[in-house]
Amino acid sequence: MNYNRRLALLREKKIEHTQAKVRAAGFIDEDDYGTVPVPEDFHWQSIPNHPNGSFYGASGWAANFKSLMEIHPVYVDPLDALAGRWSIIMPKMRKQDWLPEHDTSFLREEQLKYDIDPGIGASSHFGPDYRIGLELGWDGLLAKVRHYRGLYGPEKSEFYQAEEDVILAVQTWIHRTIAHIHELEKTEPHPGLRANLEQMAAVNEWVIGKPPRTLREACQWIAWFNMVSRTYNRDGAGGQLDALLRPYYEKDIAAGLIEDEDAIFYIACLLLNDPHYYQLGGPGPDGQDVTSHISFLILEAAHRLDSSNNLTVRVHDGLNREFFLKSVQYLFEDRKGWPRFAGDKGLVEGFMRNGYPVELARERIAVGCNWMAIPGREYTMNDCVKLNAAKVFDVAFHEMMDDTGVEPSLDELWRCFESHFNRAILCTSKGIDLHLRHQKENAPELMMNLLCHGPVEKGLDVSDGGVEYYNMCIDAVGLATVSDSFAALEQRVAIEKALTWRAIHDYLEADYTGAEGERVRLMMKSSPKYGQGGSLGDRWAERVSELFTRLMKQSPTPDGHNRIPGWFSWSRTIKYGKPVGATPNGRHAGTPISFGANPDPGFRKDSAPTAMVKAVARVQSGYGNTVPIQLELDPGLSREEGGIEKVADLIETHFKLGGTLFNINVIDAEKIREAHRDPTKYPDLVVRVTGFTAYFAALSPEFRQLVVDRIIQE
Amino acid sequence: MEGYVTEIQRFSVHDGPGIRTTVFLKGCNMHCIWCHNPETLNPGPELQLFPEKCIGCGECFKCCPRQAHLVIAGERKLRRELCESCGKCAGGCYADALVMVGRKMSPAQVLDEAMEDKEFYASSGGGVTVSGGEPVYQADFSHEILRLCKEKGIHTAIESNMAWPWEKVAPLLPVTDLVMMDLKVLDDQMHQRVTGISNRAVLDNAKKLSRQSLPMIIRTPIIPGVNDTVQAIAAIAEFIAGFTHLLYYELLPYHPLATGKYHSLGMKYGMEGVKRPERALMDELAAAARSRGVTVRCTGA
Repeated sequence: MNYNRRLALLREKKIEHTQAKVRAAGFIDEDDYGTVPVPEDFHWQSIPNHPNGSFYGASGWAANFKSLMEIHPVYVDPLDALAGRWSIIMPKMRKQDWLPEHDTSFLREEQLKYDIDPGIGASSHFGPDYRIGLELGWDGLLAKVRHYRGLYGPEKSEFYQAEEDVILAVQTWIHRTIAHIHELEKTEPHPGLRANLEQMAAVNEWVIGKPPRTLREACQWIAWFNMVSRTYNRDGAGGQLDALLRPYYEKDIAAGLIEDEDAIFYIACLLLNDPHYYQLGGPGPDGQDVTSHISFLILEAAHRLDSSNNLTVRVHDGLNREFFLKSVQYLFEDRKGWPRFAGDKGLVEGFMRNGYPVELARERIAVGCNWMAIPGREYTMNDCVKLNAAKVFDVAFHEMMDDTGVEPSLDELWRCFESHFNRAILCTSKGIDLHLRHQKENAPELMMNLLCHGPVEKGLDVSDGGVEYYNMCIDAVGLATVSDSFAALEQRVAIEKALTWRAIHDYLEADYTGAEGERVRLMMKSSPKYGQGGSLGDRWAERVSELFTRLMKQSPTPDGHNRIPGWFSWSRTIKYGKPVGATPNGRHAGTPISFGANPDPGFRKDSAPTAMVKAVARVQSGYGNTVPIQLELDPGLSREEGGIEKVADLIETHFKLGGTLFNINVIDAEKIREAHRDPTKYPDLVVRVTGFTAYFAALSPEFRQLVVDRIIQE
Repeated sequence: MEGYVTEIQRFSVHDGPGIRTTVFLKGCNMHCIWCHNPETLNPGPELQLFPEKCIGCGECFKCCPRQAHLVIAGERKLRRELCESCGKCAGGCYADALVMVGRKMSPAQVLDEAMEDKEFYASSGGGVTVSGGEPVYQADFSHEILRLCKEKGIHTAIESNMAWPWEKVAPLLPVTDLVMMDLKVLDDQMHQRVTGISNRAVLDNAKKLSRQSLPMIIRTPIIPGVNDTVQAIAAIAEFIAGFTHLLYYELLPYHPLATGKYHSLGMKYGMEGVKRPERALMDELAAAARSRGVTVRCTGA
């Protein structure tokens, strides 16, 4: 059975697993983690160490992890190059997420007022340095823990004991998996697959303790770390995969152990095991491109696997052009939303503004959803902390209008907005400080500590001073909603005087009800928008973004931790819209706010991606965290002569202008049918109509049908 | 100097190489029965009505000086014979049920908008395309736009039907880097029937252009019942086969997307119900042209 056939069967099985998971637990609105369903007869109960029934602290987490690893199902597929899959997110079995002894209620009022996701108690969301584990192996990590334990007194014994316990627990699970492989060997009828199981057993008997020597062993080691780290606290951060695997690949090739087809298969199995966030290409610390032959093989592996993955290509001046174009080609060919593209210039120059040298900034790579981290050396809470700027605007507007001693004006509204934005940032920062003070008691990072520089050496959790760098993320959400609202007020109230401040206030209070309300709503909505290019909306968006950055950078958190701003909403625009009243941009109360840093759909009649690319580049926060752009494109663009190059130019130009992260979703036939049935599901979908592009949702049903027919035909 | 612009389209991917901005001007000397941009035919500004978007606020009734707006049996109507295209009603129609098409702009204003995407032109080998309507219809205006672009180092292209005296066309060439021209059908009787004018000047100009050093692209829209035969396309391919600077010959399938635009302008669409040519036919026509020694591109719509 050849590799492609085996991958096809593995992919089919993954689809079956996904369907079984949906049947068991309902729809999954988060990443696909590569889990396999829990057997029906499996049961595990967490071990509480607190009167509230939850578990806390190093010993509590280690005891629970050890108990889970002793009985966690083992999974081996004779088709796979790698053993093991994971099934359970251990912390989901906790009764409560935060220690009641460390009161957070004093922040509650403002968290609600400004709709803050404080991230207190959130785990992971920084990056491991896999090289530590690949160099030491599990036995080496254990020896390292024991060595440093010997240097400290009993005050650190709980921490070190817990670290020892989790390593031993990992080895227990691997050991049980090896036993299962041997069982399967006895019954596997296919000679090729039986040989595969024998090799798989040998690989695992080696990597259970020792550092990997070959590419297959390295992939297996990374897969094990991913599985246990996911099980432990859902960590999904990856690393610079091409650079990590390159030495093993080149050694195997030189020794004649493998050919490229073998390498592609091993890597495809690693990506199947778990779609962690890996970066490919980009500059090394010396600025030279790290793209190599294995970077191409990783793309090829992802292409042949043809499933979900989270590969990011780091685009910089020296990036191998052939590699870049190949990655754009797969984006269109596979239509699975991979790869994403990270902009080196904006990220590196931005991170350096925090006072870091260029070599360090280049090491800060894409290892998460919208975020970057220095593998093993930085703690960030990236993507965990969100602040709803649309809600802040809502609060500011109503405070100004309710204050009878104040004459409403744009200046007054801006002053009010700035004041509340600042308070919201301060409240959020206090939450971050609280988290940093007590997270070690709540949910220590026992797995990630092992692949960081410092925690084991110092006997300190990564959240507690274990690593060198602490750059705490706060993302704001709702940029277009806020800036278009300011622009609409300036246009209609301040310039045209078509409405008084009191009148627009009353229309907002009434949620634009009635025929006249609807006309006013459309008038506000048709005001100059963010994204049009040089419009009032663009100017406000830049001003709002600059304000957020200035407020974030004017001081560290009260405890002195560096803060880094970004704009990113996940896909939770519906959730963030619910508590926000009607806004002056013509948005009804409770409806979704704008997505990420994107302009609102309909920002230009021609919906030109170039306009969006420039607009989002202008509102970058500028300190190394991302302000991503999200484009939904139809596949037709790539089928034109030079189409791939045009999309590549779009990406490159965004990054030259300072952009940081580019996500492109190429719509497939099923999605376009769904969008046709309900265009509101894909408000951002841009389609090529003829020689131009347009918002799919904005087209008439007949027009949409023609586009649907074309895409399906293609 | 000012001219009338229908629309400026950024990230235009069918109007020349690279990422381009296409400036669609108003006014055309031909009236092709399949024209998919009927809003560009009339040289002046005009009002489009999209009744399905009307929210019934009545603002247009209040501001129209000629009482051109009315509702008959619940149906939104426009008395076009009264409308002077002053645009007052459209200015107050936030539902976009009334839209003025045709903006008066100076060449410098056009350049300003085109410069918005200057970063993309250099990296992608793109630039600005002046299209129509018909760019030669506003020849001086087109010339000035192209000249200003050239001054800024931007690659320029025109898309023209070339049904003009050579003296009108020639002055545009020094400020143009690429000529894209249509050859719709060689049979002059058919040409006159479906476009309203003879193709004699078109063919003469095509030959003259082929002797210039300018790169050119020749395009044929494949229209059912007009030129969707191997014979018609092969004849065009034979005519252009020896053109030295021809980059390629492009076949564009007819598409029926303009119906709504005709209705919005109160115009009758003569091609209603006609379907887009099948891909197999397009492939067959492309093969026929290729067999005459021409490089062919077949662009899907």
